[in-house]
Amino acid sequence: MSELFEPKIVAFVCTYCTYAGADLAGTSRLKYAPNVRIVRLPCTGRISPMFILKALQKGADGVLVSGCHPGDCHFTHGNYHARRRWMVFRALLDFTGISPERVKFSWISAAEGSKFADLINSVTEDIRNLGPFDQYQQLIKETESPATL
Amino acid sequence: MAKIGVFICHCGENIAAKVDCTKLAAAMGEHPGVAVSVEYKYFCSDPGQESVKKAIREHNLTGIVIAACSPRMHEATFRKACAEAGLNPYLCEIANIREQCSWVHTDSEMATEKAMDITRSMVEKVKRNNNLQPIEVPVTRRALVIGGGIAGLQAALDIANAGQEVVLVEREPSLGGHMAQLSETFPTLDCSQCIMTPRMVETAQHPKIRLLTYAEVESVDGYIGNFKVRIRMKSRYVDMSRCTGCGDCITKCPAKKISSEFDCGLGKRTAIYTPFAQSVPNMPVIDKASCIYFKNGKCKMCEKSCQLNAINFEMQDEFIDLEIGAIVVATGFQIQNTAVYGEYGYGKFPDVITGLQFERLASASGPTAGRILRPSDGKEPENVVFIQCAGSRDPSKGVRYCSKICCMYTAKHAMLYAHKVHGGKTHIFYMDIRAAGKGYDEFTRRAIEEDEASYVRGRVSKVWQENGKLMVRGVDTLLGKPVTVVADMVVLATAMVPQHNAKEFAKTIGIAYDEYGFYNEAHLKLRPVESSTAGVFLAGACQSPKDIPDSVAQASATASKVLALFSKEKLEREPVIAINNEATCAGCWGCVLACPYNAIEKKDIRDRSGRLIKQVAYVNPGLCQGCGTCVSFCRSNSLDLAGFTEKQIFAEVMGL
Amino acid sequence: MITQERYRTTVKELLANGSIKMAIGYKPGSTPDRRRPLFIRTSEEAEQLVLDSTCVQNLSGYLVSEGLLSDEKRVGIFLRPEGVRSINILAAEYQLNADQIVIFGFDSTGREVRPLDGRSAREFSGLLNELKEKPLQIYKEPLLERIEKMNAKERFDFWQEEFSRCIKCYACRQACPMCYCRRCIVDSNQPQWVNTSSHTLGNFEWNIVRAFHLSGRCVQCGNCDRACPVNIPLRLINQRMANEVLDGFDHFAGLSATQEPVLASFKKDDTETFIL
Repeated sequence: MSELFEPKIVAFVCTYCTYAGADLAGTSRLKYAPNVRIVRLPCTGRISPMFILKALQKGADGVLVSGCHPGDCHFTHGNYHARRRWMVFRALLDFTGISPERVKFSWISAAEGSKFADLINSVTEDIRNLGPFDQYQQLIKETESPATL
Repeated sequence: MAKIGVFICHCGENIAAKVDCTKLAAAMGEHPGVAVSVEYKYFCSDPGQESVKKAIREHNLTGIVIAACSPRMHEATFRKACAEAGLNPYLCEIANIREQCSWVHTDSEMATEKAMDITRSMVEKVKRNNNLQPIEVPVTRRALVIGGGIAGLQAALDIANAGQEVVLVEREPSLGGHMAQLSETFPTLDCSQCIMTPRMVETAQHPKIRLLTYAEVESVDGYIGNFKVRIRMKSRYVDMSRCTGCGDCITKCPAKKISSEFDCGLGKRTAIYTPFAQSVPNMPVIDKASCIYFKNGKCKMCEKSCQLNAINFEMQDEFIDLEIGAIVVATGFQIQNTAVYGEYGYGKFPDVITGLQFERLASASGPTAGRILRPSDGKEPENVVFIQCAGSRDPSKGVRYCSKICCMYTAKHAMLYAHKVHGGKTHIFYMDIRAAGKGYDEFTRRAIEEDEASYVRGRVSKVWQENGKLMVRGVDTLLGKPVTVVADMVVLATAMVPQHNAKEFAKTIGIAYDEYGFYNEAHLKLRPVESSTAGVFLAGACQSPKDIPDSVAQASATASKVLALFSKEKLEREPVIAINNEATCAGCWGCVLACPYNAIEKKDIRDRSGRLIKQVAYVNPGLCQGCGTCVSFCRSNSLDLAGFTEKQIFAEVMGL
Repeated sequence: MITQERYRTTVKELLANGSIKMAIGYKPGSTPDRRRPLFIRTSEEAEQLVLDSTCVQNLSGYLVSEGLLSDEKRVGIFLRPEGVRSINILAAEYQLNADQIVIFGFDSTGREVRPLDGRSAREFSGLLNELKEKPLQIYKEPLLERIEKMNAKERFDFWQEEFSRCIKCYACRQACPMCYCRRCIVDSNQPQWVNTSSHTLGNFEWNIVRAFHLSGRCVQCGNCDRACPVNIPLRLINQRMANEVLDGFDHFAGLSATQEPVLASFKKDDTETFIL
């Protein structure tokens, strides 16, 4: 039996809701998969599509983006702007061959520690089932040798 | 060259039991740019903090990473320690390896691996951190209080009594608001005028309060500590510097049949008038729409009667520009438009009145000198029906909330009526009696037990007239039967709703409001008197329906907020704000649209001869709250967010 | 031919009476089916004006050349409907004042060229609204449909194949009227968001970023596609994104000069079915 694939997942979260939700999962001692690395930002509005590309370049097999529920944004509507951007960027990635299965978006409030834990588990499981992002890894590997042009 | 210190906290066993801290410390010690990497049982303890400070000094560290609990726990602690050791506090980053690692993972090896990734990425981030200084914003120590009702008066007096300047703006000709209209007040039944008017006089005479009545806020610009406010002084046609308030003009005015707003249409006033006898200031205004001279070009009786030449028909609106540090919004409420109660016959039957009209009837200074008389024939009613929740808690009337004060004032009305009309009968249709408050339940019990108010639990479906009587058809849900009560007068406990222009006014001052138009607090529980805009506070019923004690308490709370703001010459704010690279900005203004705080302005870039070269975005540091929404919009990457710069995030991700 | 002659006369008249200081149009290019931009300042220069079905380039990008419009004098320009949309976007993004632009509108069916009514962008709003309702047929490309039918892996392979040819010459950027930034994000190296080596990874990143920056702003004029020396079908990505903002936010880029940029605005009830 082959060893279980452990995907690498990068999460971009806002500090007011999802980061606090992740802290709550911790203080509640909930257990979840150790595959996700969190990058904390003030607001989902700060999360630029470039971050997602860089996470992929760093070898992530999946990316998670999460913030406050609509109406709950500490900055009143940063998350509404983010939502539009995500929708467009997600479609763009999908069209160019990066499956929406690999880049996920969620709303998690500061009170949703268990939702956070469940989500990390389910996202990890989904990406594990998809397997390593070999195609992207191949692109990364190419950059180690000189460019052809 | 970066010299980073990495401090790995065991947190007793909380971290060390899962994360191999020794391995982590060793690995970080090998990482480029790390000068010192140590572990310790409790870095948040005094000796722990001391060791961090010592390391900063000894190794001349250029940044530190504390791998420990969440930054939400101890970021402030370690930033302070940095500052004490002479390192800029913003050169400290926290790697969260407790809440988001040791506590949530079971596999020790994987937890250690994750802790390494987390710590390494924070090391990479902190290498790119910049020295930041808290933003200092000067504070103009002058408060603007908008609204001269009880909430506005209380806020103004509290601020002024603490020695700070206040400008109080009231759009009506007199202070007083709704409270001045009331007869007695629950639960003590003390006369509203008796407790209100001394406050009004005190306000008007206070050396620290500048009173602007018959005035409205025209525009508000700027930000906390530095608002620029323009006030429109509506033309009174009476020169306040000359008028002594003798009232000769009012006596002489031939237009006497104008419905009095203050008396809710139950009394009459003249065209030149003061709203009520105890008005403050006690100087009249001319109601242009009703004035015979303004309509026909002839009359000027008031001018002729005035021995002080205070009447000036040529007066124009004037504008006053003010520099203001903080704003208290106390604009109050209005009662719901009674046209929506068709089934209760308001407007059709003169003896169906609102609770506020009942207040005027019961008021000693009201149109009936305090006698409860029917508007239709001036007779004393023998049976009065009160209908509670007229509009409130009724989605079909557009008001889903409870207006909060009606249960209490209806009980009070029943009492006042019983005291004034001996032998009179009252029926009160109610949904629930909501009497939470000091002495409130006792008060409603008194109405029932001592003053024989008859409470009927149920709604009224219809009111109609028969043989000169009002027939009230409702249901008694406790008996499960329909009932019809014959009444001489029906009083509606009409819903409290926001002022008619509440939403537009919110836009003028830049605060948020809810679906009804009540102003939103920054946090319902923890910041109930602050608006969503820094430096703008909320008092009284403009935020939600409130009674007098609550309004006063909230007003005093806003005063304490204002005074705290004024306690310093300068405000200090977290330096996490956006900054723009003017050289690369293309001036597309997407950021201006995206900014939730209107913090981005257009700035002209001119050459030496003053010719406009281009316009670029400028982030106002006083207004920017640091969300970064503009940064990720900016296509040319010109905007950046201090504390979470593009370089920092890039390094953080690439460090994972 | 008649359209060309009529417009030639109009341009001469407007130049002569000072209504415009310059007109931007087309002149013959290096091959019979190619056209080059023509900057007409005199009656003689107007003689070179060509207007036929091969005039396909969207010239609106020339309007934002540094200083051209800063004297507030009016400039005429030959534009197809897509070009008019570009003018609206540039105005909505404060890069130009639409009142300063005199439009010589035209369109073609087959080899037939016909003039379009209107001189200012505002006067084209009826036409643009019609376009929104029935998007251009030529973009119902079989290739686009083919890509849509692929699975993620096939699509990734398809685009990597295409992007592997990219030489990062940035001709797509230079040709695009919307790429007016003083500094492109790809030229920002603090940090270097986009890998600038011509490995496919960097090529992919560049093309993704370009498409994202054009989302809700691209009018499908095809300038980038024609400019690409290695024939990457850039129009397909742009078209896909235009469909996305139209379906998702009812946004048709360049409908008016006061249209809010789709990614700098939002609605509280924007769709969010994809959010967990």
